[in-house]
Amino acid sequence: MTITELITVILLVVGCFFFLAGTLGVLRFPDLFSRLHALTKADNLGLGFIAAGIALHIASPWSALKIFFIWLFTLLASSTSCYLIAKFQREQHKPQNGKEQE
Amino acid sequence: MNAFFIIVIIFLLFNIALGLYRVWRGPTVADRLLTTQLFGTTGIAILIVLAGYLKELTLLNVAVTFNVLAVLLVICLVQVWKKKKGEAQ
Amino acid sequence: MSVLIDIILAILAIYLALQSLLAPRLSQSVFLFFAFGLALALAWIRLGAVDVAITEAAIAAGFLGALFLDALRDFSVSDTEKQENTKADQSLVSAKNTNSPWLPRLALGLGLGLFLLISLEAVWEIPSGGGLTELAEAMLPASGVEHPVTAVLLNYRAYDTWLEIGVILMGLLAIFAVGGRELYRKPVMAVQDPLLRQVILFFTPVLFLFGAFLLYVGKTGPGGAFQAAVLWGAIGILLHLGGWPVFAVIPRWLRQLLLTAGLGFFLLLGFLFIAGGNALFEYPPAYAGFLILIVETLAAISIAAALTAIFANLNQMKETPNETETTT
Repeated sequence: MTITELITVILLVVGCFFFLAGTLGVLRFPDLFSRLHALTKADNLGLGFIAAGIALHIASPWSALKIFFIWLFTLLASSTSCYLIAKFQREQHKPQNGKEQE
Repeated sequence: MNAFFIIVIIFLLFNIALGLYRVWRGPTVADRLLTTQLFGTTGIAILIVLAGYLKELTLLNVAVTFNVLAVLLVICLVQVWKKKKGEAQ
Repeated sequence: MSVLIDIILAILAIYLALQSLLAPRLSQSVFLFFAFGLALALAWIRLGAVDVAITEAAIAAGFLGALFLDALRDFSVSDTEKQENTKADQSLVSAKNTNSPWLPRLALGLGLGLFLLISLEAVWEIPSGGGLTELAEAMLPASGVEHPVTAVLLNYRAYDTWLEIGVILMGLLAIFAVGGRELYRKPVMAVQDPLLRQVILFFTPVLFLFGAFLLYVGKTGPGGAFQAAVLWGAIGILLHLGGWPVFAVIPRWLRQLLLTAGLGFFLLLGFLFIAGGNALFEYPPAYAGFLILIVETLAAISIAAALTAIFANLNQMKETPNETETTT
């Protein structure tokens, strides 16, 4: 096992750990806002680690650039959607007293 | 090395299967929409790992497709459902 | 070892397909269907069909998701009066179901069983038959493109693709027939939220560029007109949601031109080939690549316009009754 492969393995394992953390957060946290927090932070960090590991494994500049842009767009989309969902939820529940089921 | 990639992919698929529980529980639409973000991100990770495992770089295009469309559903929810309450502006 | 991935994907896909049909709540169904689209896209990749995977990803994650969310809002019952109605409907339906005779069920079950057997047999036949892959590969130099899937879609079976573009237009016409085509003229205010505005303005050029990239890369690899069309259609949907109904603002003749350009140019080309002594859609090999690129671009623009129009129309149709009660 070369040193590159070792780094790839470590990066992927760390990425998987953050993905598990994000999923457990979505499952276990009590309300939407804390779930949003868990998902949009941990998962993107995990994706970043996995993307870095695979970019190292593929080792071609063009695809490394593409993977980097995938991660950048995911960060952008994810943080924006976190804000939008949270704002949406607050506005939905402010005028309504009942639960917005379905 | 290949066996390791397969384990990673299976682990990520397992993550998606776990996330299905949140689709079942809800309770609001926003909670369920959250899972689509989870599936999207995990799906992109699976596609990237698959691209590394199969050494097939066209798979990255599928990942970008998921990527650029992920925000569409959220904007759709926010804009379409907001109008229901008469709060368009 | 990689069989494990395939087994998990197969179980996941079948489970999600069943659950998205059987889930008790509509919103569960919609989001399970989204997960089903993801599982299906991964399954297509494992089967080696990256083209189909891109299409599945674009349609399931983008277009259908937006349509379903829109429909879900329509079905979501906030006022109790509606809820009672649906409850009454449901009890009516269940009462009907319990009283229904066993004969239609048996016939339906037998028919579905037969259909399943036939489709299983069809799947079984493919490996033994060998298929037309070799023939398609052999004719590739004369087709004008380097990717066999694009060659099949735009050259060998161009007639089928032409009809497929027509089917999408027919869907739009059906919506016009039900809902009327003037509804989405209503001006919508642009969004006030600065972040939402910026993200829409950021993703519009990104979607356009990536769609153009997929369209061009279809010549040599997975990608092509339909994938690009869904991405470009997503631009229209995004702008519509953001309060810039571009498609409703442009003059009517331009709209009609956009919607029919792909279909019309394709057909015109076919007739020109007939006039030149060839068969319908038989490209002269020297210009084939160039002509295919033009046809693909126009088809992508037309499909994107049709998808935008479908979403815009469906989105507005339900808004009109609501608007009267909420404008205070």
